[in-house]
Amino acid sequence: MFSFLHRTTFMMKIHCYERNFCVSSCSLVPKPLPPRMETHFWYILPDEVKSSSLLNQYLDLLSPCEKENVVRMQGDQLKKRAILARALVRTTIARYQINSQVSPRSLKFRKNIHGKPEVEWQLDEDWRPPPLHFNISHTSSLIACGVTVDSLIGIDVEEKQRTIKNNILSFAQRYFSRHEVELLTSIPDTEVQRQEFIKLWTLKPCFIKTNHFQEAYVKALGRGFSGAPFKTFTIRYGAAISGNFNSEASEIVVESSDDPTNLTSNWEFTLLELAGSHYAAICTEKDNACEGKGNVPRKLTVWKTIPFVEDECVSGTGAVVIIGGLTESEVIT
Amino acid sequence: MAAITGSSIFTTSTSRSFKQNQALKRISNFNSVSLSIKGTSFSSLRLQSAPSRFRISCVAKPETVDKVCEIVRKQLALPADSTVSGESKFASLGADSLDTVEIVMGLEEEFGISVEEESAQTIATVQDAADLIEKLIEKKGA
Repeated sequence: MFSFLHRTTFMMKIHCYERNFCVSSCSLVPKPLPPRMETHFWYILPDEVKSSSLLNQYLDLLSPCEKENVVRMQGDQLKKRAILARALVRTTIARYQINSQVSPRSLKFRKNIHGKPEVEWQLDEDWRPPPLHFNISHTSSLIACGVTVDSLIGIDVEEKQRTIKNNILSFAQRYFSRHEVELLTSIPDTEVQRQEFIKLWTLKPCFIKTNHFQEAYVKALGRGFSGAPFKTFTIRYGAAISGNFNSEASEIVVESSDDPTNLTSNWEFTLLELAGSHYAAICTEKDNACEGKGNVPRKLTVWKTIPFVEDECVSGTGAVVIIGGLTESEVIT
Repeated sequence: MAAITGSSIFTTSTSRSFKQNQALKRISNFNSVSLSIKGTSFSSLRLQSAPSRFRISCVAKPETVDKVCEIVRKQLALPADSTVSGESKFASLGADSLDTVEIVMGLEEEFGISVEEESAQTIATVQDAADLIEKLIEKKGA
């Protein structure tokens, strides 16, 4: 039993000589960058990471700033989650072998003008960085990272069984648009209603994270919770208001709450059921060049990973069930 | 060697268990770490720290802080031995966006106030929340 599993102690050893331990066992399976119109989605289940030495390896990849953040988290589980989240981002991006200089540890991050984290590439004379976009999200039991090229991306994950203490409808009335409240109100079964609520709570932040990210997102939560950006847009399934909630995946659209006829058609959503336990929402830009030819669905490839240990492509398996959106699941061996 | 001056982050002794106060001692060793990234938290909810003029305005009563701690504990289902105090940051306690919203709704209910202001976005710690609550109560009474 690893000392890490000891409930009351959280012991990690960082010794100088353990660095070569990392070097010898470090191996990330390289991947080519996702082509356009394709999204790569990587997730890790914290419960599958049991080795304290592995966790040490991950911790070793982090910047001083990120390490400080880990220390600040209260309790073993939160520390572990913080380490895994950063390790997932760093190892995922490093897999794409952008150039020989890039390793999980060498990556630098910064925030763009909207507060969204992005890679700060070390620029070279002859080298232009790839237009790589990423976004991460986590719950206590799943951490995910989505990657695209040439498209903004926002993701959000939530536990399917998440419950809220407040009444769903009064909660929705503060945060959701009128149409969404009507939709939820029209659901007679409380369990189905709760599920739809959680789906919306995953889809809405996901949309905001795609291009506005944290500043706007935090403001959305903090700004009096009324008239906040959350309310200014409506997420709908297909064209129907009162949904039928069987498993048919229909297109998910976002529209302005003030002007429902103004369908914001730039954005494409995918809603997944992941590992049977989570909802995951992915929002990307539509490829406008394809508009004339009709909707070319985006492809999605999903991997479950334990960086340096194993990667498993799970798209097309029962671990990934597409429940909303027109995405095609792609299996890559 | 870890990229942090001198000391390792976590104690390596086999007999000493990792305690919160040890972590706090160690943080003081990080003075020389340069923060190359502004804003250090990568958790899904990052709360801005309040501007200084706002902080000076009032310091909440201990009872208010205690009440906030209680509500936070309940919402986050924190174990009994976990430390929640005025200094605790919501993000460090593991509050995600849904938790934060529920905490605020809980506070509104408990104190009979309505958090309708932009000031809510400046709440980073339990103390900030308590200060805001008292400010709103005062306003309500005026």
